[in-house]
Amino acid sequence: VNERIRKIVIAGVMGAISIFLGATHLGFIPWVAGAALTVMHVPVIIGAVLEGPVVGAVIGLIFGAFSLIQGAVAPTGPADVWFVNPLVSIVPRLAIGPIAWLLYRAVKRFKEIPALAVAGIGGSLTNTVLVLGVLGLYRFLPWELIGTIAATNGGPEAALAALLTVAVVAAWKGIETRRKGSSI
Amino acid sequence: MPKKGEFELVVKLSIGHYIPGNSVIHHLDPRVKLLMGLTIIILSIATNSLFALFILFLFLVGSLIATKVDLRIAFRALKPMIPFLLILALIQMFAIRQFHDNASVIWEWRVLRLTDKSLHAALLLIWRFIVIVIGLSLFSFTTSSNQLIHGIEHLLRPLQRIGLPAHEFAMVMHISIRFLPILISETERLMMAQASRGADFGKGRGFRRFRKLIPLFVPMFIISLRHAQNLAEAMEARCYMGGADRTHLVRLHIEAHDWAAASGFALLAGAVAFLSFIHIDKIVLNSII
Repeated sequence: VNERIRKIVIAGVMGAISIFLGATHLGFIPWVAGAALTVMHVPVIIGAVLEGPVVGAVIGLIFGAFSLIQGAVAPTGPADVWFVNPLVSIVPRLAIGPIAWLLYRAVKRFKEIPALAVAGIGGSLTNTVLVLGVLGLYRFLPWELIGTIAATNGGPEAALAALLTVAVVAAWKGIETRRKGSSI
Repeated sequence: MPKKGEFELVVKLSIGHYIPGNSVIHHLDPRVKLLMGLTIIILSIATNSLFALFILFLFLVGSLIATKVDLRIAFRALKPMIPFLLILALIQMFAIRQFHDNASVIWEWRVLRLTDKSLHAALLLIWRFIVIVIGLSLFSFTTSSNQLIHGIEHLLRPLQRIGLPAHEFAMVMHISIRFLPILISETERLMMAQASRGADFGKGRGFRRFRKLIPLFVPMFIISLRHAQNLAEAMEARCYMGGADRTHLVRLHIEAHDWAAASGFALLAGAVAFLSFIHIDKIVLNSII
């Protein structure tokens, strides 16, 4: 298949998954003290790993625009309201894909599966650090609290993103993993 | 026992509800509306003036009245957010220390200290939010998703010369929106299929919950990627070539009323920018006190 068409279609479909995970709340996993971990940014990472940085940035843009609209229309908590500002919701998300892709490219030379995990962790941490960084610069939150959130939410989110990226891309590309049998 | 309807996913989104109508704003060119909407968002974020935000708010409410859409619908969206906004405003007022330096204290009680700066920041946060939400509602009430995507494509087309793929970008958005219903029904089927094999997507927290969701997420991604592959093949079989020298079924024309609206809005935006530039809030405050 023509590479250009494939890129367009995969960007569209991954964007749809990101919207879907957010709109149905399937992508939010309850975590301690009322906070939730999200996997909404995983389609961005997967799209970037499969099709490159531009596709990653486009999916990031869709993800960001959607979280802006969701924050404005159907917020589920006070945190969602911050995302009504595009500097919080859109700009940081543009960077997730390209950074995940760079990390993937850098590690892929050695081994594929670790490269996927690194891309997942890196992309997820990009999201955490940039979003919280903008919130801090905007003085929406005191820096001490931002550090705590980064530690309690950012770490587990990065782990979930890495697991999901590895599982999906390895299954899609048919890469042999050490595990055998069904993953169910 | 699973309840009936447990596997029905509902997309809870009230925005993007296009309300068909015949008003001036419905008939504006989507490009003009897009540019106006972007300007309003940029202005409301860049400004540090409550006064400027209030002018934007009046403009938006005036336009809403002109659309003849029930105002209650527009303001209903704001209602569930009020408690969240108040929490955020409280954080702004009391928890951010930067606002306490070089500011005059209005009210103080034990550790709580309210300064003029922090009060101003909290009010700005609330107003900015209200302006953006009303702006988004106004835009979505009067613009269908097709109009929106055509508008974006036409607006970005001049950038195609410098290599920005405007048509492709609009195509991506089209696919995303059209793919959502397919994704929803596929995922419902997946949930039922996995549940019949004993999967449980019930409660739980953190990693335990995530482990239960893995048998849903992974096939969901794989099925979507397979759909993408099929769609790409179908598009190629129909000789889809992307944006190069493409003609359009829908053509947008800027007409007299578009120019009128755009120039009127430009004046307003200029005034708002000027007022925030001269720090109108300080001037007004100083003249009152």
